[in-house]
Amino acid sequence: MAAHLAVIAVAAGLIALAFWRIDYDWKWDEVWAYRRRFVTGWLATVAISLAALVISGLVGLVTAICLGSKSLVLEAVARVYVELIRGTPLLVQLLIGFYVVASAVGLENRFVVGILILSLFSGAYMAEIFRGGLKAIPQPQRDAARAIGLTRWQAFRLVILPQAARIVLPPVAGQLASLIKDSSLLSVIAISEFTLAAQEVNAFTYSALESYLPLAAGYLLLTLPLSWAARGLERRLRHEG
Amino acid sequence: MPLPLLPPMPRRHLLLLLGLLTVLPAGGCGVRSGRFDKPSGRPLRVGMELSYPPFEMTDARGEPTGVSPDLARALGEFLRRDVVIENIAFDGLIPALKTGRIDLVISSMTATPERAGSIAFSEPYLRTGLAILAAADSNIESAGDLDRPGRTVAVKKGTTGHLFAREALHEARLLVLDRETAAVMEVAQAKADAFLYDPFSVYRSHRRHPDTTRALLTPFRGESWAVGIRLGDDELRREVNRFLKSFRESGGFERLGDRYLPEEKAFFAAEGIPFVF
Repeated sequence: MAAHLAVIAVAAGLIALAFWRIDYDWKWDEVWAYRRRFVTGWLATVAISLAALVISGLVGLVTAICLGSKSLVLEAVARVYVELIRGTPLLVQLLIGFYVVASAVGLENRFVVGILILSLFSGAYMAEIFRGGLKAIPQPQRDAARAIGLTRWQAFRLVILPQAARIVLPPVAGQLASLIKDSSLLSVIAISEFTLAAQEVNAFTYSALESYLPLAAGYLLLTLPLSWAARGLERRLRHEG
Repeated sequence: MPLPLLPPMPRRHLLLLLGLLTVLPAGGCGVRSGRFDKPSGRPLRVGMELSYPPFEMTDARGEPTGVSPDLARALGEFLRRDVVIENIAFDGLIPALKTGRIDLVISSMTATPERAGSIAFSEPYLRTGLAILAAADSNIESAGDLDRPGRTVAVKKGTTGHLFAREALHEARLLVLDRETAAVMEVAQAKADAFLYDPFSVYRSHRRHPDTTRALLTPFRGESWAVGIRLGDDELRREVNRFLKSFRESGGFERLGDRYLPEEKAFFAAEGIPFVF
């Protein structure tokens, strides 16, 4: 713990040094005047992240099961989805998704569209993570589960899933942290989230950099608890193994 | 027993940590004093956002071209200095100028009193204003029509349209976008009732989307564009003003207008809309 604090102190010191050296006159009070804008933006990011978290988890799980499915159609759909989404930038998906696809189907609410696109984006990565986790469970586990009389669904729920969950927890936690940060890109379709709030405040106060410190702090406020929770969960699951 | 400030660590780690802390402040000194030297023969770094045809754009090879790059190069010739053009997003230009990354901003930037608190401006070189690109079906006829609940107004982040909308349009919903093309798209798809921007871009955007947009070209608010200079850099400001005067007297602006804006010049003249370089 003390070592972590020491490293944080050094890092903060280096950053402070960089800020001091660039000969820039700081206007913190002007940025403080806009604090409500920051808070509403941060809350929007929290809402978006939570919704996308849940949806992408479900999408990823379903896709992972499809990827391992014996059905040609299911596997093909899942595979094309994963490769397409993982192979193109989120920015492109947002612009095409909102201005072309959503307009074509008549989905007007940009908040909903943004969450959906973000969820689909993250879901593809989750699918690969889950697929890896499921594959890592050796076949004898499945055979043994069937041998003691469990149904396919019971085997999955009681034997496979708990073991796979332990394996996928670290990469999933990483993907969720990425999702929270990727949500900043929703600003390109004018969704009023945290990053856009910071950029607007910068624009109104003609300050270049003041907003970016609260911005970084705000995202850390979301990703650090996630990281701690994931590590705590890891420790708990390990004992049950 | 006194608490240790740092955890017990091998001596080499401690030495490394201390070394880092002492070396860095010393390393910074040379760069800091360098900034205050008189720049003679140093290239002039000009910042602009190259996504604003025909004022700031790139040609097929990716080289900066347009009114502002030509103006920057003419300035370089006048001052006998090399010119380096930096492509920077519009809302990052003032920060780049303030932190010394660029020396000038020549990016069709409007001189406003608020901006003048942060940077200095040259004499204005173009008089224009804010115009409206309206959605075809909306019945907007003026800026006043926008300030009603249920109206949606698109603006580009950091521009005078954005600042105006924020100050004057309290009832309307504001869509803040970082790309002009996205804002035009919002209007063309009727997601927004209007886009507030300069008359040239409104004209061109309307030509691109003739059926889904209407152009209200007469500026509802007058503005002037000027060159941005760092506060305190008075020498450079005087030089830029001298250049602008000389450039205008030699007909330089006429040539720029004919080269890049022939259609707009003719159209605006016919409509009686101010087009004054």
